[in-house]
Amino acid sequence: MSWQVTKNAAELCVLLIRELYGQLPSRIFEILMSTGRSTVQQLGRISSTSLRNVRHGLAVLVQQNLVYHYTDSDNSRTIYEANHYYAYNIVRNGKILDCTHRNYGEAAKRIVHLVMASGHMRVGSIVDAYLKSHGKLANNVNGSSEPTNGHENGDDPFDDAAEEEPQISGYQVLDDIAHLVAIGILEPLSPKMLQSPEDIKSEVDKDLMKAYPSGLRGKQKGEHESRVVNTVREIRNRSQHLKMQLEPTYLYGSGAKRRKLANGDRTHGFSAANDDDPIEKLNPLTNLYVQDGILLRVNYEKCLVELRNQRLCQFVDDNIGYTTAQVYGAMLTALSKKLSCCQPDPQDDSIDPMNPPTVTTIEIFEYLKASVDVFGGIGKPSTDQINVTSAEKVERNPPSGDGDGDEAGYDAQASIEEPDDDDVDMEMVNGHHLNGTHGGDDGEVSGQNGTKKYEGLGPTKAERMQRMRQHLLLLAESGIQFVRHSGTRDQGEWTVDFEILIRQLRFLELDTIIEDTFGREGLRLIKILRAKGKIDDKALPTMALMQKGDVHMKMVEMELAGFLDVQEVPRDNNRVAARTLFLWFFDEHRTLTRTLDNTYKAMVRHLQRLEVEGQKKKNILSIVERTDVQGMEQEKLSGDAFNEYQQFLDIQSRLLGQVSKLDDLVSVLRDY
Amino acid sequence: MDDKKELLKEQLYQACEENLEGPDETAYSRSFSQDDLQSLSICRELKIDLKTLMGLVQSLTNDRRFIPLQSATGPVWRLRPEEEANKYRGLEKDQVLVYSWIDNAGGEGIWQQTLRNKTGITQDQQFKNILKQLEAKRLITSFMSVQNASHKCWIKASIKPSIKATGGPWYADGDLDESFINILLNVVFDFIKDQGSYSTRGSGGAPKGASTSPVLPKKVLKGKESEVAIAARGKKRDADAITNDDESTPLKARRSNGQQRILLPMPAGYSNYITLAEITERIAAANITRGTKLKESDVKQLLDVLMYDGRIEEIKVGRRVGYRAVRISKHDPSNFVPGSVPAYDLPSNGLTEAPCGRCPVFELCEEGGPVWAGGCEYFDEWLA
Repeated sequence: MSWQVTKNAAELCVLLIRELYGQLPSRIFEILMSTGRSTVQQLGRISSTSLRNVRHGLAVLVQQNLVYHYTDSDNSRTIYEANHYYAYNIVRNGKILDCTHRNYGEAAKRIVHLVMASGHMRVGSIVDAYLKSHGKLANNVNGSSEPTNGHENGDDPFDDAAEEEPQISGYQVLDDIAHLVAIGILEPLSPKMLQSPEDIKSEVDKDLMKAYPSGLRGKQKGEHESRVVNTVREIRNRSQHLKMQLEPTYLYGSGAKRRKLANGDRTHGFSAANDDDPIEKLNPLTNLYVQDGILLRVNYEKCLVELRNQRLCQFVDDNIGYTTAQVYGAMLTALSKKLSCCQPDPQDDSIDPMNPPTVTTIEIFEYLKASVDVFGGIGKPSTDQINVTSAEKVERNPPSGDGDGDEAGYDAQASIEEPDDDDVDMEMVNGHHLNGTHGGDDGEVSGQNGTKKYEGLGPTKAERMQRMRQHLLLLAESGIQFVRHSGTRDQGEWTVDFEILIRQLRFLELDTIIEDTFGREGLRLIKILRAKGKIDDKALPTMALMQKGDVHMKMVEMELAGFLDVQEVPRDNNRVAARTLFLWFFDEHRTLTRTLDNTYKAMVRHLQRLEVEGQKKKNILSIVERTDVQGMEQEKLSGDAFNEYQQFLDIQSRLLGQVSKLDDLVSVLRDY
Repeated sequence: MDDKKELLKEQLYQACEENLEGPDETAYSRSFSQDDLQSLSICRELKIDLKTLMGLVQSLTNDRRFIPLQSATGPVWRLRPEEEANKYRGLEKDQVLVYSWIDNAGGEGIWQQTLRNKTGITQDQQFKNILKQLEAKRLITSFMSVQNASHKCWIKASIKPSIKATGGPWYADGDLDESFINILLNVVFDFIKDQGSYSTRGSGGAPKGASTSPVLPKKVLKGKESEVAIAARGKKRDADAITNDDESTPLKARRSNGQQRILLPMPAGYSNYITLAEITERIAAANITRGTKLKESDVKQLLDVLMYDGRIEEIKVGRRVGYRAVRISKHDPSNFVPGSVPAYDLPSNGLTEAPCGRCPVFELCEEGGPVWAGGCEYFDEWLA
């Protein structure tokens, strides 16, 4: 959650706020970014704005979680501080909505949308707003209305479905909200969460210090430190209570499981909660309803986990294949149930880096969409060409060696256990036999819904699971450590060593940039350096099989662009060039930071360009903004004007689309 | 006395020759220390004392049959084969001097400049003459070192320059043969790809046009259903319409692309990935290296380069270390010409696509500066 705010990052946050919430809040945010913690009076002075206006601006920022505020109990002065973390996340709003829709369905997306639009919301208001905007108010709250899973997947999800949509009850909305809280996408907001982490810490510190009126001595110091850390964590975890209450029913309960299986497709499962026994979860639900004073806001950390899953799937799709990526997606969905954020706090000792959460094959299978054709996507060599022992190799511990390069990573395999041969052989043969029979007629299966066909004459569930396992094994075998086969319980336990995997993903993004800028040769040289560490000038041409002159030119080019560094080691006191070793090296950290900052800068430039384009088309946009024109541009605008307006929309979507692609890069380099 | 000494000399030389080990090319590189010589059976049997021995050694050295060297433990001697030693006969004093330096330089050769300094022959004309005479006698020959392209080096005519001096099979006449290397890289890559992938007629691949990459709804920032977004939708399908294709297209796509060839990865544990030895063998069998035989170490160099290029990866199955191509399903086998640079879609990301990612004046770009986003011509071009 902590990252360095560079000048470009700050500029970006300000621009994002201006784009969304207007001039005044962005101006105040800008001042908070540049001057640091300030009071209302200070803000007024620096911005030369009336205090009334400053308060207005701050109100917006507070509502949207964009500032921390803290009132000192001693002098009751309130200090405001910019929350750049939330400000940056504005850029991801669209992605998060999209992702929520894909994973949890239409209703979930709408709820998140509502909460996102107002920053934070009371449970009651969410329900009211939801019912007001989507669907007629249902009179009976008992949930007798029909389930929404009749809503076809293919429908345009952005359609204002109010006309056709079946009636929705308040209970259903509550149910959905409860589900989102259990998943962690929404989190209850407490006043403490609007204070900056430093403030919370210093307050706790002050409180605890009261027990030592004469100051700390010797051993007490360490004791005090750990007590502070614990209390801070306790405060942070307080918001988790509700999630924990809801979790048993919504994530792990029998209801949750049944729901998924009955529907086959998870995207539907969400809104189809009605067939469950209502009493079963009445308890937490009513709890939620009774406490409708609870404020909820979007938990970006959890959303990032979901976005990361999506990115990793794409990564697999790119590296291995489409079907395998689908299986990987199911695996990550199952796994992320146990993850609350992408980069766990190193101070938090509840997470053991040696034992990351695992999922079993059976769990993964529950999340596998029925439409995924697991029988394709992998080659089918004859059975005698398969080394089962090697494929089924189990690695209990994460790779220990934090290798220098991406190549080094997979050499260092921790303890490898060989499973019982005969046992596994059976499974494998089984899998391949299936393969032969179904491989041919796969192509013949038609009908828009694959599931139904399969039920009658297709492979059984066990066969599908076996084939799915093959995809997982393929992922585990890959040089890029997508998954680790960590155990054999329940047909195999799987885990992901995210830190190592994300590091490779980061390298991949850097490599893409390097290859694009300096060509394949440039990438070759950099990868050599990454694999070997520091290398003498003279050794490089032989390793890269390149002309000496070419190597020099590329190296200098890349050094100027900041991707490489050179260290001069004189062999004697004279320091003449001929008697000096030139050692090239690749500084991972520096390159990452630089690229990240360049990405911020590029994002800023895109947004600035958008402003300029808006200025160019000012007269047209001012017409479009009129309330009597909104929504019926085509009728109200003249032909030329409408075309021009269309042009602007085109440019806008290109620029914003690119900004979100740049954000993908930032996510990989910084947040995942 | 002289006869006896001659006889002893011959016996000593022969005894040393018998003590050489290994194949012919390397045998003569063994060096003998004083202790080694004294422990030879002949010295012990004939009870040759140290003084006589030194005399014999000196005499053999004068005959050029012994090469005196200095090692960390004291003086040592190396044998020079009889026929090599004979070449010194009939040479003049200066010629001997020059020739002995070249001879001792061995396969590495010796740079003309160094040679002149070492021999101390200062007159340019005289030095060149000597070299010319030796060359005429077919004793020495010149070549250009790979290490320093401008250095003219001399070597004995009877041996070939070492790999260090020529650069191995990758160099032709002192130049790096890049086209040769590139062809070989592609050939090796083809071998690896063919054996490590499964070629089939379109099934199970990603439907064309619908990838898992997130296509975001227009108007990301607002996150609202603004009028703008609704209007924009008229022209393009929106994100979810595209994403939802995933659900239905595998079957549809399979029908339409039914005849297209695609490559699939092999299952985990596939034990037939091509190995270093197999690749070397196949290159030799294909006879594409113009008579130069590539050793395994040479092929390994090629493989390393392919790995650094991110085109292949090493894969260990059991004890077998094989190689396979990465991103196999992204290769399009339909328009594939063996030995050519394969059709390969380069990955891209936000920064490489945006004008800023390839902007030459990105460092200068600043609001109010000489270059700024509003007046940027790269943006003009990109948005056009």
